[in-house]
This record gives sequence, structure tokens and C-alpha cells, in this order.
Amino acid sequence: MSEFKLISIEEMEQATERLLETAAKVGADTWQVRVKNQTPHCKFGEQGICCRICTMGPCRITPKAPRGICGCDAHGIVARNFVRFTAGGGATHSDHGREICFELMAAKPEGPFKVNDPEKLIRIAKEWDVETEGKDIYDLAHELAELAAMEYGKVRGFQNWLKRAPEYTQKLWIEQEVAPRAVDREVSTCMHMTHMGNSSKPEALIRQALRMGMADGWGGSMTGTEFSDIMFGTPMPTDTTANLGVMKEDCVNIVMHGHDPSLSEFICDLCDSPEMLERAKSVGAKGIVVSGICCTGNEITMRKAVPMVGNFLQQENVVLTGACEAIVVDVQCIFPALGPLTKCFHTKFYTTSKICQQPMSEFIHFTTDNAMDVARQIVEESIDNFKNRKPDLVHIPQLTTKATVGYSVEAIVKALDGVTNSQVDVTGTTKPLLECVTSGVLRGAVALVGCNNPKIRPDYLHIELMKKLIANDIIIITTGCGAQAAARAGLMDKEAKNICGAGLKRVCELADIPPVLHMGSCVDISRMMVLAAELAKDSGLKISQLPVVGCAPEYMSEKAVSIGNYVVATGLETFLGVDPYVSGSSEVVELLTSGIRDWVEAAYHVEHDLDKLCEDMIACIEAKRDAIGI
Amino acid sequence: MTLFDVVFSGNDTVCGLTEGAINDAIAKYGEDKAVALPDTAYSLPCFYAVTGTKITTLGEMKAGLETIKTLQGRNKRLGDVFNSGVATALEAEFIETLKYIDGAQPYEAPCSGHVSDAIIRELGVPLVTGDIPGVAVILGKAPTADDAVALVKSYQAQGILVTLVGDVIDQLMEKGYKTGANVRVIPLGKDVTAVVHVVSIAVRAALIFGNIEPGDAAGLMKYTFERVPAFVNALGALNPIVVAAGAGAIALGFPVVTNDVETAAAVNIKVPKSLIVQPDIEKFNATSLEARDIKIKITNIDIPVAFASAFEGEIIRKGDMQVEFDGSRVDCVELVQMKEMAEVEDHKIEVIGPDFDEMPVGSKQQIAYVVEVAGKNMQADFEPVFERKFHAYVNCIEGVMHTGQRDMIRVRISKDAYEAGFRAKHIGEVLYAQIKNEFDAVVDRCQVKIYTKPEDCTKIRHEVAIPTFDKRDERLASMTDEAVDVYYSCIMCQAFSPSHVCVVTPERLGLCGAVSWFDAKATNQLDPAGPCQVITKEKLIDERIGEYEDVNEAVRKFSQGALEDVSLYSIMEKPMTSCGCFECICGIEPFTNGVCIANREYVGGTPLGMTFNELASMTGGGVQTPGFMGHGKHFIASKKFMKAEGGVARIVWLPKDLKEQVRDNLNKTAKELYGIDNFVDMIADETITTDPEELVGYLTEKGHPALTMDPMM
Repeated sequence: MSEFKLISIEEMEQATERLLETAAKVGADTWQVRVKNQTPHCKFGEQGICCRICTMGPCRITPKAPRGICGCDAHGIVARNFVRFTAGGGATHSDHGREICFELMAAKPEGPFKVNDPEKLIRIAKEWDVETEGKDIYDLAHELAELAAMEYGKVRGFQNWLKRAPEYTQKLWIEQEVAPRAVDREVSTCMHMTHMGNSSKPEALIRQALRMGMADGWGGSMTGTEFSDIMFGTPMPTDTTANLGVMKEDCVNIVMHGHDPSLSEFICDLCDSPEMLERAKSVGAKGIVVSGICCTGNEITMRKAVPMVGNFLQQENVVLTGACEAIVVDVQCIFPALGPLTKCFHTKFYTTSKICQQPMSEFIHFTTDNAMDVARQIVEESIDNFKNRKPDLVHIPQLTTKATVGYSVEAIVKALDGVTNSQVDVTGTTKPLLECVTSGVLRGAVALVGCNNPKIRPDYLHIELMKKLIANDIIIITTGCGAQAAARAGLMDKEAKNICGAGLKRVCELADIPPVLHMGSCVDISRMMVLAAELAKDSGLKISQLPVVGCAPEYMSEKAVSIGNYVVATGLETFLGVDPYVSGSSEVVELLTSGIRDWVEAAYHVEHDLDKLCEDMIACIEAKRDAIGI
Repeated sequence: MTLFDVVFSGNDTVCGLTEGAINDAIAKYGEDKAVALPDTAYSLPCFYAVTGTKITTLGEMKAGLETIKTLQGRNKRLGDVFNSGVATALEAEFIETLKYIDGAQPYEAPCSGHVSDAIIRELGVPLVTGDIPGVAVILGKAPTADDAVALVKSYQAQGILVTLVGDVIDQLMEKGYKTGANVRVIPLGKDVTAVVHVVSIAVRAALIFGNIEPGDAAGLMKYTFERVPAFVNALGALNPIVVAAGAGAIALGFPVVTNDVETAAAVNIKVPKSLIVQPDIEKFNATSLEARDIKIKITNIDIPVAFASAFEGEIIRKGDMQVEFDGSRVDCVELVQMKEMAEVEDHKIEVIGPDFDEMPVGSKQQIAYVVEVAGKNMQADFEPVFERKFHAYVNCIEGVMHTGQRDMIRVRISKDAYEAGFRAKHIGEVLYAQIKNEFDAVVDRCQVKIYTKPEDCTKIRHEVAIPTFDKRDERLASMTDEAVDVYYSCIMCQAFSPSHVCVVTPERLGLCGAVSWFDAKATNQLDPAGPCQVITKEKLIDERIGEYEDVNEAVRKFSQGALEDVSLYSIMEKPMTSCGCFECICGIEPFTNGVCIANREYVGGTPLGMTFNELASMTGGGVQTPGFMGHGKHFIASKKFMKAEGGVARIVWLPKDLKEQVRDNLNKTAKELYGIDNFVDMIADETITTDPEELVGYLTEKGHPALTMDPMM
């Protein structure tokens, strides 16, 4: 297919340049400017050797002052900061999951919150030994939601989801004291351990950081993923579009941003209604385009094929098109810059969660009681705002790609069923994928995830790494802003098979999948953990023996560090493209890049250079292959 | 050892052998000695197709080998495995070519060796049309000679072309099995390199029929992968040379099935849909067909009467009828349901309840036939598409008549058909065979359940079918005409009404009530040349009546010029035509300025002085009758219903049953369009009056909006 062409980083940068001209015209502040203002960054902060935990300080470690006032050395300070960083991320994901539990508790057959995947509900109930026979599906949903919410504060025992891992791994986690107890307890333990006058031993602190991560990935995040599926449906492959060109000049453009799928689900439904379409027409628009940024975008694209307009560092670009009637946000990764920026345009900026309240936004509190009313108010006001556009400011860069998204574990297994032979194979397993890997048709898989970070040319590492890896017959699973980057470049177009190695190309053709699989939002990295567990169980290998690695080349948030910790603790070597704030302690660096391998059979790698990073991952995958003789 | 090691070593061996053979030949004959394969215009076809270079002398062959060596990369990437496999085949072609030096005839009966262009051209047509549904390459030695015969026979019975390489040829000879191109079993040769003669067939097919340019290796691979339905059965122990050749086959898109469990396990050889380990030789046929997605057409349906489109329009009069199933009187339904693979046993046909023998002659009975299908590519959206075909399927049975759809079917079985032995299960046989034939792209397994007990039929109709139908309709209800970029034509009923064309839009389903926009879309996807075609809607002529230049063009084309222009939303101006199978008919009622609607199930009179049947007789046949229009039930509550004439406010009379069916939706539409509450209560029915003057009185009393609207004529 000669027509197939990726959108290059340069083309995306040109689009951004053009939008920045608009920013200059209206006098708007953008992240590009703020990065300049903030550079160079604080060296103590970068190395993690600034301690502000008590008011005796702040203390900063230098060769002349190797200890803080309390006597804590650089290793203790760095490790404590790392634990607190992780706690921030783990708490954030987990609280998102908790919110989903509360919403499921409010589910009713008449809506607006409903059970859309009763099969999954029953499957999980059985996993958790909850009696399902003869129970009304909503009673069961409420019971399970209650149980899941209790996991956050359970008095004894470990997270329920751990049972999904291979027996070997479960045992290892318990032995190594990284099996997470109650989610909230792990957050508390992090804060308690790092309080002035408590732990300063790096081993103890890093172990807790791993356990905190585990409480996220095998606790709160997994709850967020699975219960969202129960409420809004388990994603299945669907076709959509991506990049800024999905916004339409002659339509009302509503952009959803954040992480929680709930409000967006209702807004999408409402925008599809004839009533709202009529309203849009009455203000002179041809229709309504809802598109998504960040992980809210990922959630609704997976389930409703809503186009993906952009990722984290595109959030300002969306407003700069001048064609955005409203940017509606829920939680996490929302630039406080959006308030002042939207004031330079006609764009309405709605905050909807008490967790994320920002100046210069219109706050409409979204709850389970007023869900549809909030959705309606926002959609109606957004439509009515169409007429306030300033036509001379409107410019939508015409970049659009096609993407096939929606690869939940269930969808992947279904795609794999499609290549089985009913005369010799069983269905419903990951075995076909394992056969591709053991035979060498595929060399392995990379879970390529994470944010954008201005320290990296936006999306450059995501996209270029993916291109190199798929050319080497390595299949990519991706979530979060990495997934958005792939989609925006065109790597989720099934035609991208043509830039793959022969092995991956053939797999894509036979299974009818793109080479880069969209598995969802950042909480959905829990899906990857389930997939890794299934692969290990179906192959009889340890997770750490699988030729699979994790990579977060452009990460920036606390959540990403929490994710990194649980990915490593699950047994997958994890490659970072940005330094964590730990370089101030040789001991912590040694632990994270090597020492923890003795505990959990995997560790971190940090590498900034694209080629080197790619080579290292391939070498790691090949070494794992050699080790098991494939 | 990995698969890579095995392929590379096999390729190295063949490369060495080839090099030796060429050098020996050069030593014997000199570099200028001519080399060629007989009866082909394509030189050494495999080498020519891959490289674009013709080889005529030993010297060129030596140079050619150097070209081949550039393919033999040794990286641990599948690309190099594929290329090494192809290199192995090209080298085999060289070795085989050397056998023909000096016009020698290296092969004797039964082996053919190189196959001539003439035979390929002869095989080409049946391969393209699917008369030869596949090409089997059997290589090696079957566990026993009887196994070999059974396997070859099984393919032959399916019309598959069988080629043989190696010991299997001797096994067939031992059993005196008849071979030859005329019986589609071609022994190629006993050396493993002879396998290249079948590769050569596939390659020349690409050059001859696929118009692939010699040298376009990528185009060649794509062609063979997508279009040449070949597969390999490698019998007996695998050696590296066979595996290397197998890699070449897989590169071309041909899966390999092996029964060598040991080697397969030792080198992790299993690759889904490409390299399949099947220990049981008896299952080789089914495994191979599934691996290459070859579906065998069912040509003979096992029923005691004929099945042909010639019988599609056959009418069965009351007096000739053995038994009748009438959905307008009792509970009848036809339904397709998608199931998981494990829930469906292919070709299982169950009759649950009494058969035709136990039904009194001439009686009206209930029936519910549920077709359960499963398939890797099946989608729930296809269910209604299959269902719509039931009408044609059942009608094509000699002595059986079928009208209607969903739970409004009528099926008559003639006395002749009954005498010939036609029973309930035969309906299942027909549905099974036709679904499998026509929708083989998506249906892997199909079973049919036929219920004839009243309680079962009632249960299935009300608890299973109607909720399913409602759900499908609901999905459609959320769509608008403006929200989509294309409409679809539907000419499914042109067998009855040759000039009728339905234009199906989200808000206006086909008049039979059975083809929604989604159905039409899915039908188009399944069969792009079929009855539903895309109609663009870019050239609007008149928004009020819904007239588009593109729609007119399509209607002209699909009605073979019988129709000129149609509007989508008017009953008076250029209304859409009606075939005979509409669910409802609506006619203008001059006294009230409105319209009356009657549905097929309604047997009484209307204020128009006519019954449904009388109205139908003057409206059908695919002609435009301004003032009258056939339509689906769900169109009644559409915002586009008679939009040009003012919409649903024109409805003044409906049969009571129909009124109840459309009540909620119609009230909703009226509320949205005019702000009227409980609009349906303003509409009269047969319990109120069928007299035009009384109708005016009733409407006046209720303040019906039609009375004050502009005259329609």
C-alpha cells in the first residue's frame, strides 16, 4: 500500500509552530515559554538530595555538607524522596479506582451508571469467591464494588488481585515483602516511613516503594480498569482517527481531558443524540465533534471510538486552534495553564472534580446523582459557545491518521483465537502469541508507555522507538500518552504492517491487528500485568523469563514512577528515557538498576540516547530468549 | 536448535549442492551450454519472477546463484528465514533444470516433473473461479499407504488439486491409485527438489493471471499470499532441507502441516496459521483447509425436492397446501443468533416438536426456526443480514412458499413437496447449506433448531426474538439521516418487483421493515457486489422533500431506467416506490387532510373504503403512486415520515394493534416536532370508526392537527 504514510515528528512540530504563532498573537503563555523560564532546573532537586521533610532544613547535600541536620545522608534523603514520589503516584491511580467503585455502587438498570459487561462482573465475582448464583446482576455489582472499595482499607491480607499472578510470582512477592496490603495502608506506610526521624536505610525504603507501586498496579489501578470495563464495557477493536485534524472547523468541538472515563461517557452519548445535533445546527454548526486528550481520550477511544486529538503536551495546542468550544477535564495531568489560556479564546474550561479544582475554570461538580444534568449543561453551553468563536483565530492543522484501538486482554485473546486451528488448538488463551514468540517469528514484546516530558522532544522517543522495534519483529503494547503518540503518527493503522519486519508483518496480516496495540489509559497498564501473568501461566515460564520488557521513554509524573515500580516488581525489566530524581545517591542508583533484581528478578535501566535505548531493549529481549533456549 | 538454525542449515545444504551441481555441469559442458525448462515462456519461472532475469546458459546460472546468495541473510529475523526459504526454492529450480540439460527427459510416468504453461493455463480458470478450491502439496511419506490414499482421496473429493512429492508417490502406486492432471492428482517427482515444480505453478499463475511484473518479488509474495489457495502437507520426519523449503512455502503464504511431533517440539516450530503440527493424519484435510481458509461449497443440499432460484416466485394456493405457518395468526418467528464457537455444533439440525406428519392437512401452525452461527469473524450486526436472506432461501425450495420476515412470516408447504418426503428438518438443511455457502467469509459453524410446539414458539417469539428485534431497532433509532455520509440501495426483492428500489437511510428503513441502514451496510460489507450498494448524498436538490441527484442516479441505475426521480420524505411528490412486501401501507384520506395507515396483519376495513390487501394491490409493483406508499412499521414514528407534507401530524387513522405498537415512539416524535402530548390518542382506529365522516367528527373533537394543515392535493 503505497498510500500509507506515517506522520513525522517534523510535521507535528510544524503544526505546533503554526499554533504558537496564534499564541503569540493573543499573548498567551505556553509550556514552551515556561520551560525556558524554568531552565536550568535546580540541581539538588534533580539529584533528589534536597530534603524538606522537617522545618530544621531545608537541607541540601554537598561534598562539604554530606549530611542533613538530623544526620541523614544522601542515600537516605534520595530514597525517602523516591518513596514519597511513588506514594503520590500510587495514591493518584488508586483514588481514581476508588471513584469508579463508588460509581458502580450507584449503578442502576435505568442508568445513568449501568452494568455493561455482566460477564466480566460474574467472572471477577468468581475470582473473588463471591456467590453469583441467583443474584440480581445489580445486587452483585454493588456487592463487588463494596468489596473492591474495602480493599483500600482491608485490615489484614494482601490485595485480592494478586491471585491473578502465577503461583510462583505470588510466593516471590510475599517472600520479598512487596506483596501489597491495603492500598491506603501502603500510602500511609510510605508517609510514615519517610517522616522525620524514621527510615533512612535505602534497602528498606526502596522495598516499600516497590510495594507501594504494587498496591497501585495490582490494586487500585486494576480496580479502576476492571470496574470501568464492567460499567462501560470491555474494549474491543474499533476504528478511529487521531491527531489535531480530528477537530472540525465547521463543527462544535468539545475536548475531553483527564483520566476518569465516567463524565466523558455521558457527554459522548449525549452528543450523539439527535436533540444535540439539532441544537448544534441551530447555532450554525454542522455537527458536534467530541475528541479526547490524555487518558480520558484513551478510555473513550477504546470504548466509543472517539478520536484522539492529542496527548499531554498537546493540551494547549487544542485550545490554540481557536476552534475548541470547550475543554472539559476530570482529574490528573491538567495544566493549570489552561485557565489563563482559554481566556485568550472563546473556549470554556470546565473542571468537574473536587480533586482537580483550578482558578479561571468553571467548576461544575460531577457526582453520581447529577451525572446526566452535568453532561447536559456542559454540552448545551458548549454548543451555544460556537457562535462566540473568533474566526480570524481559527486554525486546525490538517493532520489526521487512522487507528484501530481497543486491545484489552480479552480483545487480544479474541484476536489470537482467530489464528488458532480448531483441529489442533484450544481457544481463549495466549498460546498463539507464545508460539509466535518461541518460534522466533516475533522476537518479543515491549510495553511502551508513559507521558510526554519537555525534556524530550515531544513524542520523538515514543514514535522512533516504536518504528525501530516493529522493524525488528517486536510487537508493541502501549497505553497512555505513548499510545496517543503512536496513533497520531499512524502506527496504529493496520497498514503500518508495511514498515514492520517480515515476522511481525505476517502476524499482523494473519491476526488482522496493527503492530502497535492500544491497551488503554495509564491505569490500564494493569491490563499489561494481567497479560504478562497469562503469558507466564500459559507458557509455564516465570514472568521474568518472558522476552518482554517495559519502557517509559518520556515519563514525567509521579504516577509513572509508581507504574515503573510495579512493572519491575512484576518481573519485567524497565527502561527509562528520563532520569528519576535519584542520581544523588550511588546506593539508590545501584539498588534500582541492579540490586532489586535479587528481590523481584527485574530492575531499571536508564538511557537517553534513542539508538542505544533501542539496542539495549533488543539485547535484553534476545538475552532472555537465549536463556530459555528459543 | 531453533527454527532459524534449522532453516539456515537446510538452505546452506541446498546451496552447497546447487553450487556443486552447477560446477560439475560446467566442467562437463562449459559455461556456454544452454539450459532451459521445457514448454514454458517464462525461462526458469521462479528465478525469473523473483529477480526479473532470464537464465539461458550454465554461466548465467552460476551468476544467478550469486544473486540468490544475497538473499541468504543469517540474522535472527523472520525476513531472513523467508528469504532463505525462497533461496532454497530457487536453488531447487536450478538443480531440477540441470536434469533437463540436452533435452533430456528426466521424469517418467507417473511423475510429471516440470509442468507446462499449457496445463497451468488450463488449471487457471477453475482456480480463479473457485472450481478448484485449493492446491495441496503432499510431500514425504504417509504412515501407511492406505493413509496416503485416504488423504489424497479426501482432497480429490473436494475438487482440490493435489500434487505429490517423494515417497507418497510410491505409496499411491502400490495401491494402484489413478493419477494425472485429468483427475487432479499430479505426482511431481521423488526428489525433494521436485517440489519446486508446484511452486513454479503458483509463480506462473501470478505472472499469467495476476499480471505480476517479473522482478517484483514483493508483489509476487502478496499475490500468492492473498490469491493462491495452496498449502503443504509434510508427512514423516522433517529434515532441514524440507524445513527450509517449507519456509519458502510459508513466505509465499502457504501454510505447512506436519505430523512430525518430535522435531516440531525440539525446535519450537509451531507458528499459528503457518506451521501446524497435526499428529493425526485423518485430520490433515480439515486442519489444512482451516489453516488456508479454504471453504468447500456445499453443492448438493440433502432434500427430497429441488432447490433452485427457478422456484423463488412459485405461488402455492390454499387448495394445494399441506400445511401453513402463519405469523399473523399464531406465533411464528425466524431468527439468527450469534454464539460462541463452543456452543455450536456444525451441521446439527434439530426438530423440537411434532413434524409435518402430525399436522392436519390445510391447518395453520406455528413454527420458530433459529439458526445459530459462530465464526471468528462473525459480528452481531450480520444477524439480521442473514435473516433477510431466509426469504429467498426458503422460497427457492420447490413446493415451499415464504413471505414476510422476523415474526411476521408465512410459510406454505405444498402437498406435492410433502408427498415427496419434505419435512421440517429439510428447512434446516436448506438454511444450513445456504448460510454456509453464502457467508463462508464469516460463518465457521452453523446449527439449526426448529421448534413446532406452540409453547416453545410463543416463548421464543416473545422472550428471545422480539427483544432482539427491539434491540436492533433501538440501535437504529439513535441514528439520523444527517449523521451519515451515505445511504444504501436495496434491491433484495427485485425477484418479485423487478423495477423496485428501496433507498435505505437511518431514519427510513426498507419498506419491508426488515432492512435497516445497518443491515444494508453489513450486506454491502459482506457482499460488495450484492443487493445493497452505497449511495452517496453529496448533491442535494431539495432538502424539503429529500431529493438528491446522487440518489436519483442510483435509482435510475438499479431500476434499469424504470424510475427517474424519487424523494425520500414525500408521499405526494416523487414518492418512493413499493414492491409487494411492505409491512404497512399509507394512503391519503381526502376528507381529513391526512393519511390512514394499515398494516399487513390488519384484516378489517379502513376509512379509505379498502382493506390492506386492496390497498396493496393498487400500490405495489414498483411504480410510483402519489398519495400511496408502502413502508416499514418503524418508519411511522420517524421524523422523516412524510416530512415534506408536515410529518406525522398527518396520521389520522391506524389499526388499534399497530397504534399500540408505535404509541410510545410516535408520541415522542409528535412531542418533539410539534410539542403535542399524547398525540396517538388523537388518532382514530377501527374501534372508533372506519367511516370517513365519523372520522372527521372524531378528529374535530380531539383537535387533531391535520384538520388545520395545508391541503395535501
